[in-house]
Amino acid sequence: MSGEKKTFSVSKYSKLIILAVFILALSILRPKAFLTVGNISNVLWSVSVIGIMVSGTIYVFLLGGIDLSIETLCGLTAVVIVEVVTHMGNSVGGVIVGILAALGVGALAGLLHGFVITKFKVPAFLVTFATQSVFLGLSMIITNNKIVSCTKPKLFTMIGSTWVSIILMVIIAAFSWFLLSRTVFGRRTYAVGGNATAAEISGINVAKNTILCYVISGLTTAIGGIVLASMTQQAMASTGSGYTNDVITAGVIGGVSLLGGQGTVQGAIFGAVLMGLLNNGLNLMSVPSTQAGLVKGIVIIVAVAFDAMQHADQSRKKVRKVVKKA
Amino acid sequence: MSGMNEIILEAKGIYKSFSGVPVLQDVHFDVRKGEVHALMGENGAGKSTLIKIITGVYSKDAGTIEWEGKPVEINNYQDCQKLGVACIYQELSVIPPLTVAQNVFLGREPRTFGLIDYAKMNRMTQELIDRYQFPLHPATLVENLGMGQRQLIEILKGLSQNSKLLIMDEPTASLSGKEAETLFHIIETLRSEGVSVIYISHRLEEVYRLSDRLTILRDGQNAAVLNREEIVPKKVIATMIGKIVDESAGSKKMLHSDDTAPVRLEVKDLTDPADRYRHISFQVHRGEILGLGGLIGAGRTEVVRAIYGVDKAKSGEVILDGQKMNPSPKTSIAAGIGFVPEDRRSQGFIPLLSTTRNIALTNYDIIRKKGAAVSYADELAMSKKAIKDIDIRPADPDKEVGVMSGGNQQKVVLGKWLMRDLKLLIVDEPTAGIDVGAKNEIYEILENLAKQGVAIILVSSDLQELIRVSHRILVMRKGDVVKEFKNEIVTQSRVLSAGQGILDEEEAQA
Repeated sequence: MSGEKKTFSVSKYSKLIILAVFILALSILRPKAFLTVGNISNVLWSVSVIGIMVSGTIYVFLLGGIDLSIETLCGLTAVVIVEVVTHMGNSVGGVIVGILAALGVGALAGLLHGFVITKFKVPAFLVTFATQSVFLGLSMIITNNKIVSCTKPKLFTMIGSTWVSIILMVIIAAFSWFLLSRTVFGRRTYAVGGNATAAEISGINVAKNTILCYVISGLTTAIGGIVLASMTQQAMASTGSGYTNDVITAGVIGGVSLLGGQGTVQGAIFGAVLMGLLNNGLNLMSVPSTQAGLVKGIVIIVAVAFDAMQHADQSRKKVRKVVKKA
Repeated sequence: MSGMNEIILEAKGIYKSFSGVPVLQDVHFDVRKGEVHALMGENGAGKSTLIKIITGVYSKDAGTIEWEGKPVEINNYQDCQKLGVACIYQELSVIPPLTVAQNVFLGREPRTFGLIDYAKMNRMTQELIDRYQFPLHPATLVENLGMGQRQLIEILKGLSQNSKLLIMDEPTASLSGKEAETLFHIIETLRSEGVSVIYISHRLEEVYRLSDRLTILRDGQNAAVLNREEIVPKKVIATMIGKIVDESAGSKKMLHSDDTAPVRLEVKDLTDPADRYRHISFQVHRGEILGLGGLIGAGRTEVVRAIYGVDKAKSGEVILDGQKMNPSPKTSIAAGIGFVPEDRRSQGFIPLLSTTRNIALTNYDIIRKKGAAVSYADELAMSKKAIKDIDIRPADPDKEVGVMSGGNQQKVVLGKWLMRDLKLLIVDEPTAGIDVGAKNEIYEILENLAKQGVAIILVSSDLQELIRVSHRILVMRKGDVVKEFKNEIVTQSRVLSAGQGILDEEEAQA
């Protein structure tokens, strides 16, 4: 019993241990360049969009679903806010309307995903694979497949500035953490992801819960799109390119099971930060970009394996055993 | 049947135990060439274990298996296939988008110049179909076929590999009457072609109709091997149940029910859209445990699911304490109905979540909140109360339920309902796959609830359990309530006979 308790606490902190090892290693190897406020904030800034988006897509992962449309929805919402702001004469009011419009687009996209998945029983993979193309097409139509830029007003460019985007990430992650770990809705989400049939029998409206999760994912993707548009002060159809991968990677590194039912927001944020640290470290160590991909992949495998070893995934193993016996 | 006495498979002195509990003891079982040999026994008698040993899924602790007179070692299903044994499982392994012929020859496709020769494959399939008179066509896509025909493809697949022995485990469980009839014809053709069949079934009528011999297992031992002329309903039932009057084992009880207690639940004329049950009407009184007996597939589970509202009935009424219900899990829970589904692993609990989260799942309406946040303290207190009240082990509220033993998992599933003000609790096969100790604890929980005025509906295929726990028993057969046992002496054989459609009051043991 005591031995069990011990492994439990190691597993609880395994992610923090990995982070500490990284920070320690980089502090020793590059003491002057790494441990500065500027560098650290830079790392956090670089992962803020991923952190914001994964705080919402984690709900979809917890259901055992997936969202392949993250990057093109991110692009579409970036295009929407930039277009609205420029059409409204780069005014403060334009920014506010633009934010609301982008959030609306994100929520609608989530609603559409959730509705099709629950009503027509289409796998999330297929639905979001299709909408990925729809969102890209819409962005292209709106922008006429050109880059639209927007450098004013200050309220717009501020959103993606270092501290504002870091604070946004922290607030959204904290809100998501609260929703997931403290509210009835969060409890139910884990239950639906863990066993939808049992959840249904327990009186949970599985369809409603599922749709809500996709709406949340759409909303955070939209916020990611807004921040990204502000950071780059422009938008185009391909603005979010690569983010689907990054968000899924952050989740998986952070211990979120793509089979559903398992994972935490703090884990996913850890995954995002680890990716940022890794990029930063490779940069500071002057690893040539030709080799960076390889090194990154290996380090991620080692880190994830360490984390998985701590958890040893006891439950699933045991489940298989029991099933086999029966 | 003369000249067909050559034994094809013989299992001798088979022993098997699971974690010290003997499941099979000195079991003997033989199958002759070209015979249909039925295997019967109550739930837990050891039928499936014996079959799993023959097909190499389990290893035996002791004993030998001989195939055509020579001892053989069967360690996996491949060994089985090599000998010529094919097992038709309840879950079919046919691939819907492929044709009948493609399924039959999957992985063994005839080739010409390295390419699959479809013409030849269809021809070979047609030959098999003609030989055994299957109602199939080689080029039909399997996705367009019903369950019965899909099952026939599995059989065809076995025959295409020159199987000499087919094992069928409850083959008619998911078939319609007409489909079952087709299957029986095929089995008769197979027999005349010299193929042997092991036929496992709970349905006596099928066994009477088809089998040349019948082996009955009871408590992991041979109870009898009966020849065709000896297969008489009374004898079979008496043999399955064992010593005719064995009161200590709970095979006989005087039922008492109190009709003066107020009616808790009234079901009126409940009918299923898919006709799995029809015109079901009954009442359950306060503090009464109503047992629902009958064979698997008689419609009991479907009825209770409709009462709770997981599935919708086509017509009929469910009335709880005088209030007409519009059943759905949400409204049922709010009205004070609890439901323990038949398969706890797939329907009852969330394996990855802790005892606390599983217990709390249906009870967030009574757990306090601080703003939007669930009160951890309240949630934990509820979980600890459940752990203490019904002795859930390990007594760790954070333990994932998926890693706990079957009995404790079931206690968690039950426990969440005990935390509420219950009016009616429906339990479907509550002790399936659970050890004796936990079984008794679950019976006590049900009895205590009844004493507090909760009405209970117990669906059980375990006759001993049904008789021990119930105050009154309804028996269902093929979607109808066929018998009520009330304020009278009930025995396992009476319940079993009723479920088999033998309503003759003259009892086997009388």
